Amino acid sequence: MIFEPTALSADEEKLRDEVRGFLAETLPPDFRPGLGLGGRHDPEFTRTLAQRGWVGMSIPTRYGGAGASTVRRFVVIEELLAAGAPIAAHWIAERQSAPAFLRFGTEEQREWFLPRIAAGECWFSLGMSEPDAGSDLASVRTTATPVEGGWRASGTKVWTTNAHLNHFAAMLCRTTPQAEAGDRHAGLSQLIVDLADEDVHVSPIPLIDGEEHVNEVVLDGVFVPDERVLGEVGQGWAQVTAELAHERSGPDRYLSILGLYRAFVDVYGRDPDDARAAAIGRIGAQLWTIRQLSLAVARSLDQGEAPAVEASLVKDIGTTFEQQVVEALRDAAGGEIDPDGPTMFDRLLAECVLNAPTWTLRGGTTEVLRGIAAKALTKGS
Amino acid sequence: MTATNDLAEVRDAVADLLTDRVTPEILEAAERDGWAATVWEPLHAGGFTTVGVPEAAGGAGGSVAEACSVLEAAGAAAAPVPLAETGLLAGRLLAAAGLPLPDGPLTTGTGAVTLTGGALSGQLARVAWASAATRIAVLADGPDGAVVALVDPTTTRIAPGHNLAGEPRESVDLDGVVPEAIASVPPDTRELLARRGALARAALIAGAARRVLEVTVTYTGERVQFGRPVSRFPAVADHLVRIAEQTEMAAMAARSAAVGAGEGEPDALDVAAAAAVASEAAGLVAAAAHQATGAMGVTREFALGVLTRRLWSWRDEWGGERAWATDLGRTLAAGGPDALWPTLSRGVRTGT
Ligand SMILES: Cc1cc2nc3c(=O)[nH]c(=O)nc-3n(C[C@H](O)[C@H](O)[C@H](O)COP(=O)(O)OP(=O)(O)OC[C@H]3O[C@@H](n4cnc5c(N)ncnc54)[C@H](O)[C@@H]3O)c2cc1C
Repeated sequence: MIFEPTALSADEEKLRDEVRGFLAETLPPDFRPGLGLGGRHDPEFTRTLAQRGWVGMSIPTRYGGAGASTVRRFVVIEELLAAGAPIAAHWIAERQSAPAFLRFGTEEQREWFLPRIAAGECWFSLGMSEPDAGSDLASVRTTATPVEGGWRASGTKVWTTNAHLNHFAAMLCRTTPQAEAGDRHAGLSQLIVDLADEDVHVSPIPLIDGEEHVNEVVLDGVFVPDERVLGEVGQGWAQVTAELAHERSGPDRYLSILGLYRAFVDVYGRDPDDARAAAIGRIGAQLWTIRQLSLAVARSLDQGEAPAVEASLVKDIGTTFEQQVVEALRDAAGGEIDPDGPTMFDRLLAECVLNAPTWTLRGGTTEVLRGIAAKALTKGS
Repeated sequence: MTATNDLAEVRDAVADLLTDRVTPEILEAAERDGWAATVWEPLHAGGFTTVGVPEAAGGAGGSVAEACSVLEAAGAAAAPVPLAETGLLAGRLLAAAGLPLPDGPLTTGTGAVTLTGGALSGQLARVAWASAATRIAVLADGPDGAVVALVDPTTTRIAPGHNLAGEPRESVDLDGVVPEAIASVPPDTRELLARRGALARAALIAGAARRVLEVTVTYTGERVQFGRPVSRFPAVADHLVRIAEQTEMAAMAARSAAVGAGEGEPDALDVAAAAAVASEAAGLVAAAAHQATGAMGVTREFALGVLTRRLWSWRDEWGGERAWATDLGRTLAAGGPDALWPTLSRGVRTGT
């Protein structure tokens, strides 16, 4: 395991202060924080952030990014998530798509996409899940067949977050029938689909909180030119799994509850009884520790390691913690949940209770993550 | 910040030294006799018993983080000797008082003790290895403030007692005892001692938890039921993963608090967080490990019990998770909502 305590350097601390200062100036005093990566989709905010160089930070300067380390990016996104800032517009583009272009993209793709992502002008969704392919992602049925100059893709994606607002999605498609490919992980490719194409039909799937930010996306023979294939044809599986160490262990996995926690301290923190003090303290202690674990993963990525198993552990620890926090604070506050209650705590608690189930599902369920970790732990037996 | 590599080296050196010395027979004998000379002597000879006590005060020198590295290895080995008490606790207490460091195992404890007219009055409860120690460093209230008194245990009345692991936890009656030496100490000495006590237990827990993980992974990989190793059953694998997670939590918490002490004393908030996390982890790790190892795991013979009995004991010594969480919660609440995140995200300080 790579988990060793690591401190922020003076430079990294300075960056953090800058982000804090920016957020204090930019977010209104009565700002209602979003739940971490569930922050709102706000193109204006994304562009402002991009002007500071805080979108696509790890993109090299020659492609319009900041060429920053993983830890510097960690510092920035941690502050944004802690504040519940409206980061949804650029979130996937910057966390997932930009690194994928850097690793697997063609020079042409990098030159076209990366400067736009870094400018906060090009937003991505993730097109992996399908009605019959959830945890078992390799069973995707969306199929792309070769045509003159490119591919025609047909199939249905589901749970595609913000597909109705974003520009593109990296769609995992089968490009070689399984019977021919042999191995079920072979024959998959990632195609960059323009979500505004007339052969792409996006319709919302309302979730239990009534919000409509996830979608069904039907690809109705949409044409994808060859230059929009991400990486190698047939290497989709390897590409998708390689992204996981970067994606899994970040601060988005334990900061969804920070706004709620703050609001609890605001309402119940003056002279708390023992039970409330214990709840505040336990959450603080866990958060302090999980953050150090997550930062350790970021630091080790900068040192050239690929701590995939550690990343799975941190995601599992973090998301499980988030769910416990909601229940612990609800219990410590007492009373009924009132979505229209007078305090920010009331309203955020209602939102958290309705959203918490998704935290241990999206990006790999608890069970699947533990399966990955268990395999590594028991290697050899 | 002490380099991570140095800390790992200390951990490995102590682990190597203890591997063949802490055997099941030695552990049984230690529970019976209250002492394990064959474990203590090599640690003492190697200079590991006073790591964290300044050289100028007669110790081996080294930071709190180095002392905690020794303790992680000792926890993993279930070493039945007062390593935490001799170095980080009594040793540093005597150093702070400017008193000479006696040779041999030392201990200290908590309790309301006063010093009047040169004699002590009061009791210390559940003192680790009080009878086996050559001296007890007693923190007492003197006429002019806090003092440290050096006491020969044979001049006190000691009532036996143990923790779940059979480690001596004795009560010491100090009424009328005349200390060998007395020196005054700053008023925050008691709080600093309590912090080091809790941090020491967190480090021991982190070490023991890691060993529990190894033992449990090995056993469940070898135990075959329904034609395959039981670790292949997802429900059992889930226990293994949760043990690993809690082990990393305890270790990260303890190490962060230890490293954050730099060349000085550990920070109040860091220790409260580390103790709350490690004490909670101890119970979770023990429960999951026993569930995964079936009946064999609860036998006296199997390597798990010596560790889980320690986890169940250490988590409450110097304060359990609720006490530390409440303490931390009051501090965080007093800072108000705006200070919450800046305080918690301060992370590891690069020395004081
Ligand atoms: C709010 C939200 C946003 C999302 N956004 C996106 C998005 O933008 N793009 C996208 O592609 N996807 C998205 N997803 C989908 C997400 O990735 C899937 O929900 C996830 O991969 C799990 O798949 P599933 O929901 O079909 O559950 P299933 O795979 O059907 O799982 C059902 C249950 O079975 C368990 N299970 C399944 N396989 C195993 C196994 N091998 N071992 C043990 N247990 C198992 C699971 O853990 C779970 O408990 C989103 C999901 C949510 C909730």
